[in-house]
Amino acid sequence: MIRVGDKEIPWREGMTVADLIRELNDPYPYAVVRINSKTVSSPHFEETLIPNNSVIFLIPMIAGG
Amino acid sequence: MMAKFEMKEIKTFDYERPTIQKGYANQTLYVNLSESEVSIKPVTEQMKEVFVGGKGFDLWLLWNAVKDTTKWDDPENAICIASGPLGGTPVYPGSGKSIVTSISPTTGSVMDSNVGGYFGPYLKFSGFDAMEVRGKSSQEVVILVDGVDQKIKIFEVSGLEDNAYDTSSALTERLGQGKPRSISVVSTGSGAKNTLIGCLNFTWYDAGRKRARYKQAGRGGIGTVFADKGIKAIVARWNTVSMDTNGPVDKETLKTGGKKYSSEIRELDPKQNEMARVGTTHLVPIMNDHDCLPVHNFQYGQHRGANNIGKDAYRHIFDPGFDGCWMGCTVACSHGVKDFVPLTGPFQGKKVFVDGPEYETIAGCGSNIGIFDPYTIAEINFYCDAYGLDTISVGTSIAFVMECFERGLINLTHTGGMEFSFGNRTSALELVHQMARGEGFGKIVGQGIRKMKAIFAEEYGADAAFMQDIGMEAKGLEFSEYMTKESLAQQGGYGLALKGPQHDEAWLIFLDMVHNFMPTFEHKAEALHWFPSFRTWFGLCGLCKLPWNDIVPEDNKDTMEPAKVIKHIEWYAEYFTAVTGRQVMPEDLITMSESVYNFQRIFNLKMGFGRREHDNIPYRSMGPVTVEEYESRADRYDKQLTEKHGIDIGSKKTEEKVVILRKFREEQYEQLKDAVYKRRGWTNDGVPTAETAKRLGVDFPEVLDLLKAHGGQ
Repeated sequence: MIRVGDKEIPWREGMTVADLIRELNDPYPYAVVRINSKTVSSPHFEETLIPNNSVIFLIPMIAGG
Repeated sequence: MMAKFEMKEIKTFDYERPTIQKGYANQTLYVNLSESEVSIKPVTEQMKEVFVGGKGFDLWLLWNAVKDTTKWDDPENAICIASGPLGGTPVYPGSGKSIVTSISPTTGSVMDSNVGGYFGPYLKFSGFDAMEVRGKSSQEVVILVDGVDQKIKIFEVSGLEDNAYDTSSALTERLGQGKPRSISVVSTGSGAKNTLIGCLNFTWYDAGRKRARYKQAGRGGIGTVFADKGIKAIVARWNTVSMDTNGPVDKETLKTGGKKYSSEIRELDPKQNEMARVGTTHLVPIMNDHDCLPVHNFQYGQHRGANNIGKDAYRHIFDPGFDGCWMGCTVACSHGVKDFVPLTGPFQGKKVFVDGPEYETIAGCGSNIGIFDPYTIAEINFYCDAYGLDTISVGTSIAFVMECFERGLINLTHTGGMEFSFGNRTSALELVHQMARGEGFGKIVGQGIRKMKAIFAEEYGADAAFMQDIGMEAKGLEFSEYMTKESLAQQGGYGLALKGPQHDEAWLIFLDMVHNFMPTFEHKAEALHWFPSFRTWFGLCGLCKLPWNDIVPEDNKDTMEPAKVIKHIEWYAEYFTAVTGRQVMPEDLITMSESVYNFQRIFNLKMGFGRREHDNIPYRSMGPVTVEEYESRADRYDKQLTEKHGIDIGSKKTEEKVVILRKFREEQYEQLKDAVYKRRGWTNDGVPTAETAKRLGVDFPEVLDLLKAHGGQ
């Protein structure tokens, strides 16, 4: 099981960040997520595996600077 | 330990402190150091209506101080410092900013720089919405604005160290009378005296660590103007601060709003960017992943060493604890390194506290010069602050030097024997020390990139056209630290910025490049109208913009325009009304800013700048200058040439493709200028029209004469 915000989501072997975002069916174009304390940017969503029991933060970073 | 120093009082001016009403003291302070003159000027209702406060007041005071012929080191040039009507509100996050303006040594035109610390609020509570300092003193002086005893004092000083680190602590101790938190010091150091890229340090007292900490008004060399005037420091002294101190009209709404905003940040920051723990260092890996981190003088956007200098490193290096540069600010992003021991320079081997580094310093004095060691970056950061040098201009200037050195445009003869390959930590540090001493090659580098380009070409025979392409300055100001080659909107964010290429007007890389939210020129132009306007508003009011869009509400993504974070803008409109009593809606905030924004553009015109030609940027910021840059992103560029521009690249060499791509990209940038000028109500030469000036209430006779002379009518 992994946690994304308030939701608990079943984990499966080989699950990537891109898989998670597709499954969430959230149309918002996230550019960055955090897996526990590790930041992952969108160019690496497809290749980054999510470990079981992770806490995921979807970071709505849009206009910082 | 600080050596003994002497302060001789040469002027005392008694005044009666006004009660702050609706966020305003309703008067400004005038100090002329040539005649040791101190006086008070009223703030008119028109000033409040048109210029609001903060940067608006600064610009109006500066406009009236200088002539179109005024140079940065003329006595009539003024340094203006202001808070703003909302500045000084405790509990409300980000409410302690000051804005500084002056005529810049590097651009020759109006410069503005915003900074945290307690000075602006203490100045206002002492009775002044802004202060302007003109003239020059032959002896080094300290100006004390003592709101507690209701006196302005000027002291001649001797024996103070020539660095802001010691000066800040010494004056906090001497003038605090046992209450160091009652003091905020503005100071600079020897680097500001001996270069054109001097910064100012503004202190806040860190009660937890029992020391004066500081933030920097870095851009454009205002520290150099400060030192040239003979000012050692300006100090504000004030008592305790409560929500009543700022005289808000509606305290209950203010209290509720401040608590709501603080709670949201406390809840969401740990889930988002963790700024209360890692500051802006989170940006380093993110920029690197998206190919936007400047590497080797903005040639590249990524480096395998970037993770060594990002949040994962500094999370363990920063001293944990509360780091808010304003009272009760829950963003609290001003982190520092405790017990740091420099390996070089006058503090070599001694334990010091480093304020920073932040993202800009890490990218400028790290990746952009090929340094991926967090401790060397901390050491450069420490010395730049102590010497009064802008870390952004220092970093970008050294990056230019290193590329010139690696490409053989300059050599050991010119550098005094120092090697300047990218990544040379020893030379980078030595150069900073030379800048501070005004010696050797450092004296040349401290003039900034625009002057270096001229010296390298005229005296060393370097290729002027190539240096124009790779020297990352525009309007005379060094670029801040984002790679913009793949974001046309951010090229405009830099090139069309009033003071020069600083990202505080518009930061559109993600919206444009990553999210593709603005596919057309009109979309980009709209963003380059709206974002600079709204971001300007923070500077008018004495606010920090970080709470607005670096911590965003969870439901923001479901709004029509998530980039604007509308919920927070509504909160800001409520905040403004609760303090000032002026009933405003969110859209009114844009109009307020638009007036000041256009006035600053017109001010540039007064100083001989502010037209289309001055909005040009070096090609390095638009696309690949060299073959190796092109080839580092060959897939992307080849695809653009074939799919977007219909070019058959089959038999073309990279050199040819560089030339073809350049033509398209330069044309695009010109088209962007057209679209933005139109959206802003300016002529095709980038001059606001008389109609625009009238609509915004800045159609003063002198303004209309200027516009007429430049085709704006």
